[in-house]
Amino acid sequence: MDVIKLKEVSKSYKDNKVLHNVNLSVNEGDILGVIGKSGSGKTTLLNLLTGFVEATKGDITYVNKFGKERDLNRNLHKVKRHLGYCPQHNSFYPQLTVEENLLHFGMLYGINKTILKENISQLLKFTKLSDHKNKLAKHLSGGMQKRLDISCSLVHKPKILILDEPTADLDPILQQEIIHLLQEVNGQGITIVIASHHLESIETLCNKVIIVNKGEVHSFGEIENVKKPYLRDYFTINLPGKEGKDKLIEKLRGFPIKKIVDKGHSIVVYPEHVESTIGKLLSFIREENLYLHDMHFGKPSLNEVFERIVKNE
Amino acid sequence: MSRKMPLWLLTKKNIKLLLRAKGSALIIIFAPLLLMLVLGLSFNSSSTYGINIGIYSPSITDDVQNFIDLLKEESFTITTYDSLDSCISEIKSGNTHTCIDLPESLNIEGNEKKEVIFHVDPARINLVWMVQETVNKKFDLRSQEISQSLTQNILGKLSETKSVISETESMLNTAKGNADSSASSATSTKSSLSGLDLAVIESNVNSSKIGSVDVEVSESNDLISEAREKIKETTLDNTTKQGILDTLAGARNKLNEAERVLTTNGTGGNVLTQLHSDLVTSQNKLKTAATKISSSNSNLESIATNLQETASSIGTVKDKLTGLKSSIDGVSVTEASTITSPLVTKVETVGEEGTFLNYLFPALIVLVIMFSSLLLGTTLVMMERHSPAFLRNFFLPVRKITFITSIYLTNLILNSLQIVIILGISLIFLKQALPNLHYIALILLLASSVFTFIGMVIGYVFNTEETSVLATISLGSLFLLFSGTILPLESTSAYIKGIAVFNPFVITEKIVREVFLFSTPIQSLWMEISLLAGYAVVFFIIILFIETILHQHTVRKYLKGHHRAHRQKDKKNKNDG
Repeated sequence: MDVIKLKEVSKSYKDNKVLHNVNLSVNEGDILGVIGKSGSGKTTLLNLLTGFVEATKGDITYVNKFGKERDLNRNLHKVKRHLGYCPQHNSFYPQLTVEENLLHFGMLYGINKTILKENISQLLKFTKLSDHKNKLAKHLSGGMQKRLDISCSLVHKPKILILDEPTADLDPILQQEIIHLLQEVNGQGITIVIASHHLESIETLCNKVIIVNKGEVHSFGEIENVKKPYLRDYFTINLPGKEGKDKLIEKLRGFPIKKIVDKGHSIVVYPEHVESTIGKLLSFIREENLYLHDMHFGKPSLNEVFERIVKNE
Repeated sequence: MSRKMPLWLLTKKNIKLLLRAKGSALIIIFAPLLLMLVLGLSFNSSSTYGINIGIYSPSITDDVQNFIDLLKEESFTITTYDSLDSCISEIKSGNTHTCIDLPESLNIEGNEKKEVIFHVDPARINLVWMVQETVNKKFDLRSQEISQSLTQNILGKLSETKSVISETESMLNTAKGNADSSASSATSTKSSLSGLDLAVIESNVNSSKIGSVDVEVSESNDLISEAREKIKETTLDNTTKQGILDTLAGARNKLNEAERVLTTNGTGGNVLTQLHSDLVTSQNKLKTAATKISSSNSNLESIATNLQETASSIGTVKDKLTGLKSSIDGVSVTEASTITSPLVTKVETVGEEGTFLNYLFPALIVLVIMFSSLLLGTTLVMMERHSPAFLRNFFLPVRKITFITSIYLTNLILNSLQIVIILGISLIFLKQALPNLHYIALILLLASSVFTFIGMVIGYVFNTEETSVLATISLGSLFLLFSGTILPLESTSAYIKGIAVFNPFVITEKIVREVFLFSTPIQSLWMEISLLAGYAVVFFIIILFIETILHQHTVRKYLKGHHRAHRQKDKKNKNDG
């Protein structure tokens, strides 16, 4: 079931078209990753989804639990109760304690205090902040602050959680921690829309991705589907030494090859026909008894897909 | 690189940063200039505009009217009142700045000085002094005129005295001449009279013998009488005859004896001769005395004449002096202090007498509330805007009006506490505030709301805390400077004064002053209270409007910041790569 739909949505700031003709629908339970270069329009897209900015053109609708579509901006006050937004930078009161922050925001969502306290207790356990609930927010570590920020966005149990660069400025361990947390959040049935530059995190976390490029949606859908056009197009061989690599490159030049990219310890091969080239190459390796670390020719990473999209601009 | 270079570079950088932060540049550089300009233009006047002076006098005599005309020369608005009470009530309501209670006439008729009483609102001390100073000039002028007239009168009397003295001087000289002449005559007479020989001539005639002569003569006479009787009774017989002869003989003896006595003196001289000589001597003495007495008589006549003339002169002098005395007695003002300052001014305060603290209390308390509300309003808005949670607030299902109201409510609570503390402390010094304390508290709360909203407007308009605080302080200072608390508004131009009337500080101070100092019923101040309430509503609407614009501005700012951060990150990644 869809929870948010964007239909031919455009957004301009004066003469500057930031987003153009965006069509998008987010299903319940999805984790949608929004990726794009800086200035591509992904933050604007998030802002449109949260109602922070209004679309210049098109419709943004929120689908309620009864399946009824409501215009987001016209019903923003109501829709806000079902949205959780976690901006890039921490957005809580540093002078309040963890619990006070959660209570404050929770109360503003109009949640009964007893229920809210219960929610907070669960949330604190869930985000592993129970031991720190009486600490001032400013005294928390970076990872804990991010967890608190996410907690603040979840305190009212939203249906959709929208996050802007949740792993930015965090070390890899903390990034993993946040991704794990978000997976657990999603496990509770909360739809997540996340914008990030960390494409590996997006790939790990999301089931859907939307690639925004130059204000337009380049690709949108299941990550696998997004990657499909970029499958079997090339393969990579990782080699231990120069000798084997030279032999291999010399052999490959005899095949119908579009391009060979030498990356030092690896080579990327763009053949005319991937399957026949791989077959011939494997026979050659066996005959010559060459040693190689690995060879992969499967799915490209989201990062690679994104790079290719950007490079093909 | 010289030592100065880093210093200069840093300074240059600071100036650049300052100027590029438009708000800071505007406030730091232009606000003081603007403040000076406004103040300069406003107070660049030597005249006093719009001072309303109430005049009360039991009757408007020419004197009083002249004085009113004199005051009118100073651009004062003069209103005459039928009763002092109505004039004073106008002071309380702030329509009149001072009431001058004039005597019926300013003419000085006795030693008592004429008292002119200024009834002033003590809470407006600076204005009181200003009005007093200006009006006193006029009084001094009038006082000088009166003093001059009094002195002229005295000088006239002195001149008159001088002429009388000149006149009497010649009379007195004549009298003195007469007296001298009389004295000389008297001396001469005295000398003449003292020269009279009035010594009694000691006669050698035995007086006892003269006595006996007398007896003898008497006896002789008796005998002669007896003889005569006997001759008459008897016929002339012998015996009788003898008897008569004997008697007569006896008489003869007796007379002889008398003769002997008279002719023989002790010294053997003749008594009669002696007596004759003595008589001649006495006659001579008497003649001399007669001459001298005659001369003395003439002298005495001259003295009498002189004395009469002198008496006449003295009489004239006396008359003149009596006239002079009565003329001097006619000068009713004799006290030097009355002559030099015939008019005295006295200042009486409207309302209860109190210390300066009483009078300053309304302005002080409003000042505290104004600055605390303005700064608190600005600071709270700034705190909220600069709080990391500011962005999250956009996504909360809470209306803008609720946020604004919450900031206002926070201010109100803090200001209420402040008001309670201030009023509580003020009760220690100003016990008379107690009956109206609740009204004052309500007014201050309303004023606090207005200033809070103004502070909030500043908080929403400016971007940085420093500039907004500076703007708040500047605005507060403007409110204060154009309130009449420091400089009397009456010394500004009429235009500025007209605007300053709408200064919320002025309005609040007026309400508090009237309630606190004059116990004016709050109902009669409905106009000012409505104006304050109106301000509160208007500023609240302005805040709502600004907030709406600010929302868009914040979105843009957020997006800009967001993109900038991303660009920097991309650049960093590229460099790292």
